[in-house]
Amino acid sequence: MDADALTARVETGPDRATILIDGRIDRDGDAALAAAYAEVAAAGATAIRLDFTAVGYINSTGIALIVRLLTEARRDGRTVEAVGLSDHYREIFRITRLSDFMTILEEANA
Amino acid sequence: MMATMRQETETDEQRAAEATPEASPASRLRTSRDEAWAKPVDRVSVTAAAERAPADTVQGRKLSGPLQGFGRMWQKTFRVPLYGATLSPREVIAIWKAEFPAFWPKSAKFYAPLAGIAPGEVALLELKPLPGAPIKLSTGVMVIYADDESFTFMTPEGHTLSAWITFSAFEENGVTVAQAQALERPSDPLDELAYMLGGSKMNDRFWEQTLANLATRLGAGGVPVETQRVCIDKRRQWRQVGNLRHSASIDTMKRTATAPIRAMRRAVKRASDRR
Repeated sequence: MDADALTARVETGPDRATILIDGRIDRDGDAALAAAYAEVAAAGATAIRLDFTAVGYINSTGIALIVRLLTEARRDGRTVEAVGLSDHYREIFRITRLSDFMTILEEANA
Repeated sequence: MMATMRQETETDEQRAAEATPEASPASRLRTSRDEAWAKPVDRVSVTAAAERAPADTVQGRKLSGPLQGFGRMWQKTFRVPLYGATLSPREVIAIWKAEFPAFWPKSAKFYAPLAGIAPGEVALLELKPLPGAPIKLSTGVMVIYADDESFTFMTPEGHTLSAWITFSAFEENGVTVAQAQALERPSDPLDELAYMLGGSKMNDRFWEQTLANLATRLGAGGVPVETQRVCIDKRRQWRQVGNLRHSASIDTMKRTATAPIRAMRRAVKRASDRR
């Protein structure tokens, strides 16, 4: 198994669910992210935090997966915020205009 | 025609990488991967004279992805297994990038940047907004990402689709597969109407033909292109109705309608210059 392959673990709290993403976000991460979102939806969380602290790399297909997750969350009335993004990926989220639709926080414990 | 993005912002990570001549292998890998992304810009800037296609529907526009569009959001996947071809995914992408305009159907034109399909470059396009339309729409795309195995275009405001389209190649069951995957919403209410009245099907045929042309070039002609359409969001984003003010379709129609007046003005000016 690819050591850098993506895993997405869900932690559910009283106010929100956190998806802890680990590894590389690319086309191979589709199933893991979809399963994580399904778990969040099943838990009935109204807010989602995407934790990118352990993400090493995101390619354009990976950004498309995040766009899709964000669209599904907005469709279902859930807010989305992101934490743990490096400066580089914060800029990528800005240029791709993902940041128009999600709050980007500086620290994971914010 | 050369069309490049003005690249104004450098990230701290890139500056740090440049300032460290003996970077570790891990940081070199991270830097080369990061360089696959276009550098951040606020607006598209077509810096050279647009000699072959009008750039005014692209110049100064913001990028607009599927989140910023108006209509229903679709994910469309077009893929062709390259049976009989012996090329690796990287070789397929190298050819696709180098010869990209040649694979487009004859009904549309893709004016590639001189620097090729590279992060931050802008290409201009001319295409029909609807089957049988008497005018061609002038618009463009920015290469938001490009590496050895994939490249991605993002549309500027005014394009009929607010989209993100990724071209990739990968190996599946021992066969190299070429794929184009779009995440798209029609940009405004007029574009949504055109999309429903045949624009979507025309768009599907466009990419199916493109992939068929690519497969033929790579020695896998005749293999059927597989198409999958998934509606990701059925809602229309009425808050984006204001996208109409950027519409390249409306700008192109205006330019076409006023062309005789501009031609007459030029003729009058030439005549008065001769006197």
